[in-house]
Amino acid sequence: MDFFLSLSTTGLIMGVIYALMALGLTLIYSILGIVNFAHGEFYMMGGYTAYLILSSLTGLHPLLVVPLAGLVGALFGWVFELLFLRPIHQDRIERPDEYAILVTFGLSFFLINLTLAVVGPYPHRPPSFFEGTVNLGLMNVSADRLTAGALSLVLLGALLLIINKTWIGKALRAVSQDKHAAAVVGIDSLRMNSITFAAGAGLAAVAGALLAPSFSVTPDVGAQPSIRSYVIIVLGGMGSIKGSIFGGIIIGLVESLAAGYFPDPSRGLRYKTAFGLVIFMLVLLFRPTGLFGREEQ
Amino acid sequence: MTGDRRLRFPVLGGSSTSRLQWLVALVVLVVALLVPTFLQTYWLHVVIIAYFYAILSSSWSLLAGYGGQFSFGHVAFSAIGAYTAGMLGKHLGWPPLVGILLGVLVAGLIGVGIGALVLRFKPAYLALFTIAFSEIMRLLIRGETQLTRGDQGLHLEPLLGTDIISRVPYYYIMLGILVACLLFMYWLVSSRIGMFLRAIREDEQAAAARGVDVVRYKVLAFAITSMIAGLAGAFYGHYVTIISPNMMVLSQMGLVMAMAIIGGVENLIAAAIGGILIQVSLELLREFGSWRLVIFGALLMIILRFARNGLLAPVFRSLFGMGPRAELREEATADGA
Repeated sequence: MDFFLSLSTTGLIMGVIYALMALGLTLIYSILGIVNFAHGEFYMMGGYTAYLILSSLTGLHPLLVVPLAGLVGALFGWVFELLFLRPIHQDRIERPDEYAILVTFGLSFFLINLTLAVVGPYPHRPPSFFEGTVNLGLMNVSADRLTAGALSLVLLGALLLIINKTWIGKALRAVSQDKHAAAVVGIDSLRMNSITFAAGAGLAAVAGALLAPSFSVTPDVGAQPSIRSYVIIVLGGMGSIKGSIFGGIIIGLVESLAAGYFPDPSRGLRYKTAFGLVIFMLVLLFRPTGLFGREEQ
Repeated sequence: MTGDRRLRFPVLGGSSTSRLQWLVALVVLVVALLVPTFLQTYWLHVVIIAYFYAILSSSWSLLAGYGGQFSFGHVAFSAIGAYTAGMLGKHLGWPPLVGILLGVLVAGLIGVGIGALVLRFKPAYLALFTIAFSEIMRLLIRGETQLTRGDQGLHLEPLLGTDIISRVPYYYIMLGILVACLLFMYWLVSSRIGMFLRAIREDEQAAAARGVDVVRYKVLAFAITSMIAGLAGAFYGHYVTIISPNMMVLSQMGLVMAMAIIGGVENLIAAAIGGILIQVSLELLREFGSWRLVIFGALLMIILRFARNGLLAPVFRSLFGMGPRAELREEATADGA
């Protein structure tokens, strides 16, 4: 029982961080109608921003670079949206669905190789937020991971408040429900697209900066977290905010428990993301709309 | 059948351009056959590898450019072919040809399985699922070191035995496979199946309403191209004789995609030549290291944005009247006769 509880705790902590990253992907999907296949590379960008700033500016507290990493990711996302995604919504692109898949995957290829060329292939690890571990009664959790989980939780709460209570959140929900009706009441959907893509990219970068002290960064570090986010949004239902939060927590729990109870623990740990693929298959087989998905139009 | 005629597109040009096409193809083939007489061993090797990429990029373009299906698992299927052949050879001592055959079969079976699971849904689902599948296969191959030797790499028997060191026979084998695959795919896209695929891509519901079994043809196309990737990978493995999980990293997939799109994703030949040219230029630009792929990545995005037909396909079309529309015309004349 203790084993089960301690695995669940780790799973919950990771699940909240996963949810943060998946929420960015979900926001982009529900407003722009596209899957961002470079989402993992924004995560990678966040990790590298943290590492590069902290290795050149000593004396800065590691936590202070997390918002900076988010800003860098958001800025980059904003520029990409303007150059490559805005034309879709101005009807200047043939076969927009296919274009969106290809151009975001192209961005991922570009960013991985750019990082490889600039920083090199070796793993880097920014300094810890807080050294040591924290005793949670049943188990010890590394202080870094606990910090990352707690900050993700705060950020998730803040985002839900923005989406549900502010004018801009209302405008976003309006665009996601009906772009044309939103335009009639004076919401500039192109601006909403930019804001959303920048925010989504920024969230992935924040997740990257939060986890970089625990897992270090390499140019291809984004693959696993992005695959995890894909599984989460399919499980939660494409475009559902509630779904991405519950989905994130479920995937966190499943990964932790499945890895813990796998007959061969070292294998279980190594194949953590593979359990996500099994869930992906089950969702497609039995509930293609996901937990909270809208019916496909 | 008069009903069929409505599906066809109005097209221009006559049979003289088609004769010109075949003439050009013949000249290119003769040049390709003479290549070993003027290339040194090292560059011959580069061209053999370039043909491997040309098979991958052209078969990916069949799937994406004709079928509108975006698989990011294409290089994973080539690795599945290579690892199947390699493991059968290493653990059971089976001869390369049997291993290659089974590699193709395994790639096809997995293709049917994934296709049946995913192709009922929107195109984004195939892309999402194949990325996940590709990375998890890579993790498995890296992890199961007793079977695959992991990152150390799996050794394969040279296809022609250890006595033959010359690369010339390998050159002709790889060229033969490339030409055979291109002819097969060309036949496929101009057959009824190719017509169904394009009809599905243009308007899935309309195609279904006219009686096309949409999912079945999509799965068929996915399985066939996966088998071609498996075939290319298995031969590649038995040529280079050592394979590692690096052959299926997503960056490789990005490279194959860049080859197809920079060449011209809606034209099999352009995609194949794109593959050859990019692989050779990667070798020529070796001193630029990782920046080469940065340039091709940027080029890929710019071409997607501004020149959807790639760089080579429009040139071909204006020179010889080749291209997707021209192919539609051929099929119209062939069927209508």
